[in-house]
Amino acid sequence: MNNNTQSMAFDWRGFTGYLPFLVFILMLGYLGYSAPNLLTAESIDLILRQSVPTVVVCLGLAVVVIAGGDDVVSGGIDLSIPAAAVLAAAIIADQLTNHGTAFVPALSMAMCAAMLVGVVNAFLVVRVGMTPLLATLATSVATVGITKVVTASRRINVDHPTIVGLRDNELYGLSVGVLLTMVLVVIFYAAVHRSKWGMNLQAVGGNRDAADISGIPVRRMLAQSFVVASMAGGLASVFILARGSGSSPGSEENLLLEMILATFLGAAFSPRRVVTLWGAVLGAVLVTALSIGFKSIGVNVFWTGCIKGALILFVVATAALATGKK
Amino acid sequence: MAESGQLTSSTGATFNTLAGSFFRQFGFLLIIAAVFGFFSFYATNFLTGSNLLNIVEGSSILLILALGMTYIVALGGIDLSVGIAFDFGAAFAIVALKNYDLVWYLAVLAGIGGGLLVGLLNAFLVVRLSVSPFMATLGTFFIGSSVQRIFTNGGGPISHRRAPQEFRNLAIGNVSGIPTEIIIAAVVLLIYYLFLEKSIFGKRIHAIGMQREAALVAGINVKKYLFWGFVVAGATCAIGGIIGSANLRMFSPLAGYSYLLDAIAAVFIGASLNRSGRPSVTGTLIGVLFLGMIANGLNLMGLNFNTKDALEGIILVVVLMLAVYQQKAMTHRQ
Repeated sequence: MNNNTQSMAFDWRGFTGYLPFLVFILMLGYLGYSAPNLLTAESIDLILRQSVPTVVVCLGLAVVVIAGGDDVVSGGIDLSIPAAAVLAAAIIADQLTNHGTAFVPALSMAMCAAMLVGVVNAFLVVRVGMTPLLATLATSVATVGITKVVTASRRINVDHPTIVGLRDNELYGLSVGVLLTMVLVVIFYAAVHRSKWGMNLQAVGGNRDAADISGIPVRRMLAQSFVVASMAGGLASVFILARGSGSSPGSEENLLLEMILATFLGAAFSPRRVVTLWGAVLGAVLVTALSIGFKSIGVNVFWTGCIKGALILFVVATAALATGKK
Repeated sequence: MAESGQLTSSTGATFNTLAGSFFRQFGFLLIIAAVFGFFSFYATNFLTGSNLLNIVEGSSILLILALGMTYIVALGGIDLSVGIAFDFGAAFAIVALKNYDLVWYLAVLAGIGGGLLVGLLNAFLVVRLSVSPFMATLGTFFIGSSVQRIFTNGGGPISHRRAPQEFRNLAIGNVSGIPTEIIIAAVVLLIYYLFLEKSIFGKRIHAIGMQREAALVAGINVKKYLFWGFVVAGATCAIGGIIGSANLRMFSPLAGYSYLLDAIAAVFIGASLNRSGRPSVTGTLIGVLFLGMIANGLNLMGLNFNTKDALEGIILVVVLMLAVYQQKAMTHRQ
């Protein structure tokens, strides 16, 4: 009897667990049906190119969530990655266009700035003991403020050959940006799933006390996760510049929305409902596919925030119902 | 590694002398005093009666939003959609006046209704669908922002120059010399103080925030309190939006966003001033006035708009850091 009810409950949970994925496939199917050119090679290429910045920031967030656990309030979260990415983009744009700096020094400056954000996050969370949510929300606001000083709240166009090449050049039929991102995904995968560091990281996220007892430097791992996340933010800046042909003020808000949606959507796809690298990457590509799909069937651009917000809630609600969590 | 960690904490304990404990308890008040002193010295006209009144008046709207936030944080949650409730309050009030020619007090009610809608959505998500407050209010934030863009066709403001004088007076009027804004904020403050700090409901709310399971076992209807918490917080923030719209005689979409972090910061600064490290109404009041003082002082120092934004952000990070540090230090000692 007891066994029976358990298995029934499991089936039901299993079903609600797959709901987000089903709804997603249905939506994509509908979009593919109403906009027949959405599923052509050409537009899949476009989707991949457009999703690159989101994929890269999602890698960063996935690392933080894997290390901190996936409770959004007390666990790991980093809301400042998009802000760090946009700051780095602003610095590169400003250096390339207004100061005539070469690409590599400009990128190094941007990476330093982005990683400084990560170091501050790490300090606030690990040393001071702030919750990651509060700490990264605060640093993200400060970072947006600093970005305003760098750009004077103006758009900066970039036509530097490296940035343009990242967007336009192709290798084996794939955009260079997409290829580089694939390399990044593989590096992150190797680091998180195929290295000692990654195993320790996952141990910390799985059970912090157990990890501590088995001698893993928990605090150091947590701190490193924030720095790695900000590094991903810094790297994303190059792709943001390539996608938008420059840096625009205020672009962090949409990136934040896509990053959170993609990462937690990815968790809904994973069998154990946890945030994973692959899930986050897949989520980022699917979210971009949805945005482009809605645009191509003529949905008003202002509606996309609404649809994505509703999607986040739907995914999180079904996940909560599936695990029966309070 | 673990050994050295223990070592530092034990030496830290021996340094826990009178001076140390004094700083832990009053350190943040010292910082407030120091900032006050700095601005009195470096920002001309900071320390004048009319400017101090300016600070209080300029903090009114933030205080109202921060009180709504205090309620939710006391319940153990967080509300990222206070700005949306603010915007909806402003939008509903202005549209009621402009398109439906309603009397001013009905417009105020409409505005509060707008905030209630936002609160109801949050409450439904958190209580019915068991979404965590963070995710629920984040979703509300994105949906609410998108709705405003759709409604205004991209984010242009809706202005209503011929708003009735009674409505405008909510922001710019005064009652025997005291600005109406301050009076409204004071009334909201008093109600929140009596409710959260002096009533049995407040005790239960704090109990839920501290130990939800224990509160549940003790027979408190946790879901009911969470539900009404979000609804009341939404309505409260809408009051802030109504005052804001009365001041400018227009609704500017997404204006409420700028209050979000300040509201959170004020609550956490306030919590750090408390012995128990819990959010409280008086603590929030002090936090709000402190933030108002910083904004006002930086303004008077004549800084560039972008620089001011960056500085405020950095100061906020530092202040929050000190606040949480002090809070941890105090709660660890108990």
